[in-house]
Amino acid sequence: MHSLIRAEMLKLRTVRGPWLVLAAGPVLVIAGISGLVVSGGDLHDPATQAKALAHVGLTAIFPLAFGILAVAGEYRHKTITDTYLSTPARGRVIGAKLLSYALCGALAAVVSAIVGLAVAAAWWSAKGASFDWGDTAMWTTIGGGIAWNTAFAAIGVGLGALIRNLAGAIAAALAWIALIEGIVGQLIGNLARWLPFYAGQALGAGGKAMLPQALLPRWGAALVLAAYAAAFAVAAIATSVRRDVA
Amino acid sequence: MNGGITVAGLTKRYGPLTAVDGLTFTVEPGQVTGFLGPNGAGKTTTLRMLLGLVTPTEGSALIGGRRYADLREPRRAVGAVLEATGFHPGRTGRNHLRVLAEAGGIPPERVAAALGQVGLDDAADRRVRGYSLGMRQRLGLAAALLGDPRVLILDEPGNGLDPAGLAELRDVLRGLAADGRTILMSSHVLSEVAQTVARVLIIAGGTLRFSGPLGELTGVRGETLEAAFLRLTSDLPRQAGAVAPAGN
Repeated sequence: MHSLIRAEMLKLRTVRGPWLVLAAGPVLVIAGISGLVVSGGDLHDPATQAKALAHVGLTAIFPLAFGILAVAGEYRHKTITDTYLSTPARGRVIGAKLLSYALCGALAAVVSAIVGLAVAAAWWSAKGASFDWGDTAMWTTIGGGIAWNTAFAAIGVGLGALIRNLAGAIAAALAWIALIEGIVGQLIGNLARWLPFYAGQALGAGGKAMLPQALLPRWGAALVLAAYAAAFAVAAIATSVRRDVA
Repeated sequence: MNGGITVAGLTKRYGPLTAVDGLTFTVEPGQVTGFLGPNGAGKTTTLRMLLGLVTPTEGSALIGGRRYADLREPRRAVGAVLEATGFHPGRTGRNHLRVLAEAGGIPPERVAAALGQVGLDDAADRRVRGYSLGMRQRLGLAAALLGDPRVLILDEPGNGLDPAGLAELRDVLRGLAADGRTILMSSHVLSEVAQTVARVLIIAGGTLRFSGPLGELTGVRGETLEAAFLRLTSDLPRQAGAVAPAGN
């Protein structure tokens, strides 16, 4: 397993795509926090710090896309043949990808958080407000945001392994977030909080999100996302083991 | 267990279509065996079943007496070049091999050795995006040779190679066979096959039409390889005796 994870990491380091994903998160966080400040957010309100750093969680869409690439990208470039020739135990390949990509999702979120903290502290001091480094709500928001990124990376790996077609898997993820969670979510009221993107927001924004619906408590959202990730992982391994690679 | 290939009753059905129909043959070490057949004959499916990528409907395909999936270090036992094998366009040739070495438990020094063996040293640090078809084919062969395997399974390895490349490939394969390795190579280019292989397997419509030494195929009637191939693979009514006995 160790060498499989090292091989996955080597695959990531030897192409450019992963670095772009790593860069996209901080860009979104800088834009989001700057937007909040410029549009007149009250920097003297203690809740604003957590609100600013909630953008770390929102970067989870990038690890999701990145995770989809893990298997679907290998099908696209037909490198999956060589991957399975090296490791005929396909379940172990998918397992190594889940671990590697979840780790990368977490790392990307940590980078986003560090950039976000630096940008927020700079804005606060530029506007003459004091930035409270001991703000517990802010730190739990950051922690939840990192967990959201980690889970979405794993969910992406599962989704990509199930669908295998890269464009199809990306389209399915976007359609899910926009249509199912966006529109259907409005119609099913409180049931919507069990959907993965709602659960992610509960985890990364702390229940006081920009949504009308009540969200799950943080720990509940963490369990729900972990369950989604596990379900996708099991389905991905079960189908990958059986399918012919032609 | 001599590192040969043993295929018995191998069958693959896709719904109503039978791609491979009860194939039985063996491939011995120490020589290059050509695997011939028209398009759609079932060659690639057979090779993919040997490599554990496609699950047979019936029968077995064993390498050194084991299924590919049961080999302890598959990349060090078997090297493969498959038509559908791809490369990430943004990764360099050298890094492609480094990834395979890492996943296959192969010492990293083998990367440079394999690049040298196929004459790709100079292009090794360029991204595969800029490779010609022939260079990709060489990289595929380097990947197959990476683990210094005793068995090589090659699907159209000459595709895209220029005449000099073909001659080099022939020398490499003959050298490896002389070293006692098992080499099974599919090809459409019969002139290339005639110069490279010692034995041939011919399949058509998923069934075996001939298995034996090249000389036996062409020698009996004084035919060219092409004439024998066309006779064995055209599904015009065959006279008794037109199909040489299989499995000898």
